[in-house]
Amino acid sequence: MRSIVIALILLFSTAGAAFGVGDVTRVVDIINDSEGYAGAVIVEGELIGDYGRRSDGTVWTQLNDDPYVYAPTVLGNLGGANIGIGVRMPAALLEGLADPGGYRERGPVVRLEGIWKHHDPERGGESYLEVSKLTLLEPAIVLEENTDPIPAGIGIVLILIAIGLGVVRRRGDATG
Amino acid sequence: MLIKPVRRDFEAIGHNLGRVFTVVGVAGFAPAIWAVVSREWHPLSSFLLMIGVFLVLGQLGVRLPYRGEVDRLAWSHGMVVVALTWLLVPLIGAIPFMLSGHYASPLDSYFDAMSGLSTTGLSLVQDLDHLATSLNFWRHLLHFLGGQGIIIAALVLFAGRGNLTLYYGEAREEKILPSVKSTARFIWAVSLVHLVAGVAALGFVAWQVLGFSPTRSLFHGLMIFFAGFDTGGFTPQSTSIAYYHSAIFEATTAVLMIAGAMSFGVHFALWRRRARSVIENLETRTILSTLGLTMILTMAGLAATGVYSTVFGLGRQGMFQVVSAHSGTGFATVSSAELGSWGGLAFGGIVIAMALGGMGSSTAGGVKALRVGLTVRAIGNQIKQVLLAEGAVARTSYMQGSRKQLTPELAQSAMSVSLLYVALFGLGTGVALMYGYPLQTAIFESVSAGASVGLSAGITDVSMPALLKVTYIVQMWLGRLEFVAIFALFGFIISWLRGK
Repeated sequence: MRSIVIALILLFSTAGAAFGVGDVTRVVDIINDSEGYAGAVIVEGELIGDYGRRSDGTVWTQLNDDPYVYAPTVLGNLGGANIGIGVRMPAALLEGLADPGGYRERGPVVRLEGIWKHHDPERGGESYLEVSKLTLLEPAIVLEENTDPIPAGIGIVLILIAIGLGVVRRRGDATG
Repeated sequence: MLIKPVRRDFEAIGHNLGRVFTVVGVAGFAPAIWAVVSREWHPLSSFLLMIGVFLVLGQLGVRLPYRGEVDRLAWSHGMVVVALTWLLVPLIGAIPFMLSGHYASPLDSYFDAMSGLSTTGLSLVQDLDHLATSLNFWRHLLHFLGGQGIIIAALVLFAGRGNLTLYYGEAREEKILPSVKSTARFIWAVSLVHLVAGVAALGFVAWQVLGFSPTRSLFHGLMIFFAGFDTGGFTPQSTSIAYYHSAIFEATTAVLMIAGAMSFGVHFALWRRRARSVIENLETRTILSTLGLTMILTMAGLAATGVYSTVFGLGRQGMFQVVSAHSGTGFATVSSAELGSWGGLAFGGIVIAMALGGMGSSTAGGVKALRVGLTVRAIGNQIKQVLLAEGAVARTSYMQGSRKQLTPELAQSAMSVSLLYVALFGLGTGVALMYGYPLQTAIFESVSAGASVGLSAGITDVSMPALLKVTYIVQMWLGRLEFVAIFALFGFIISWLRGK
């Protein structure tokens, strides 16, 4: 199962590289020069965290454009801190899309087109992407846990030893 | 002459460390149960190992003979226990981080565990957004254990062994109730009431306003409560509080941060409806003054740069960052890159707010309002003395629970600790400068680490030099325990090596 997941990820990383060309802006560049990118932008990445469905019919979520989109940590890959921005879109754009990413899943990878709002005065100075178009590049995938029973085994033995030590001590205290 | 510690000294320290390890080991079952419920088997495995190590060390410790000193623990022993607790608990508590695959090295894992326990909030975790929920819970629970005090928990659970030095060693300066044990119980009662109210409020906002699912609302509410009330600063998502995009959520969080920065003495007075006592309290007046001043500085700085085009935007972003900095929490609604670019007055306002910190006997770090207030009073007293006729003596008193006299010894102590904090901030700044970081960000990050805040101007990153990581770890340790316990530990080691 794990090899299938790796194969899928490698396949998608190649596809991802192909997708990541053209007018796509890297999220890290937006973060480092937020004011400079104010206006129309296209970004790509993984939807992650939660879908916050607001009463005004919009949905807030986060888009990450970092190494983990194509090489999740669960497979032993480390590539620094996450790089993400907040995105807002009409709820209709998310129809049919899987849940955002988390521990057990790599969320849907999407291309978002919209307006980068730098310190939006209408939203109390927040910076975020107001999305007008969403294209699904890759569906969400389930991430398999790489469970290691050895720490658990050692831990259980140690806990039993600790309980034994506690019982012996209490008996010693009782007999004075 | 230095007196070499004898076997009985080590047994007393080992016995009390054993008690603390047992408490933390039992607390470790909480994330383990969480992992079972969430079916997160990989983290569960690492939690079991951590619990086992804590409990075995704990039981070996409590087996050491300590019967001869049931009533009192020597002052130096208590301080050594506290200093070692804050050094060793993160070492074992980092096991789940090390095995998670989210950290580049054991040093990075230890950095995060120390940051969690010291309620700092700086983090070297990688791919936080894919971290298991049980591991996220453990990160935030470390804030709660460190903020509310593992020692306090041990004092509550191990009856009949009133160890005042342990209590003071954990940087708590006032006994609210007659005994340490009843004070410890009160602190936990306040914390649990806030836990229920805080999680309910945050969870409700997340569910009804942010539109999260009920279970995710509860998860976010619990995590942000731990980090907010314990003035920690970890968050479950990589974009900190900016993740939530809600002024109401930020306001709720700010209330918790302020509650966390208040001393338990003030909490006690509020519970007893002694509002006048709170208003007259020197700490309350000092913190309100410094909060107001740093807010004005920051807002003026931001207004001058024109970063925010509306008063609401300026107020919302500026106020949140200042409250977060002053309370020692470290939540942010702007990115590290942007925070690092705040120059002039805005930079000054945030750095001063971080350095000053919250009230004494609270979960906040920094110099603390009481010391700032006493230092200002002492300086004022000196000026008054100069102006008085020869032979006349200027006396000053202050309110803290009751009216107290400001003695020269007290003033000197307050000033000494304040100067130690300045030196601590200088240490981190110097090491960062040595590696070529710009002065402004070096000061910012160092103050953040030393005052247990957690805001970052961008230096704290996996790629930063190992020596700088170690420096920030030392700053977090020293800053959280306010020096005394650590000096006692060094004194103990020197006595052991060179004593007769």
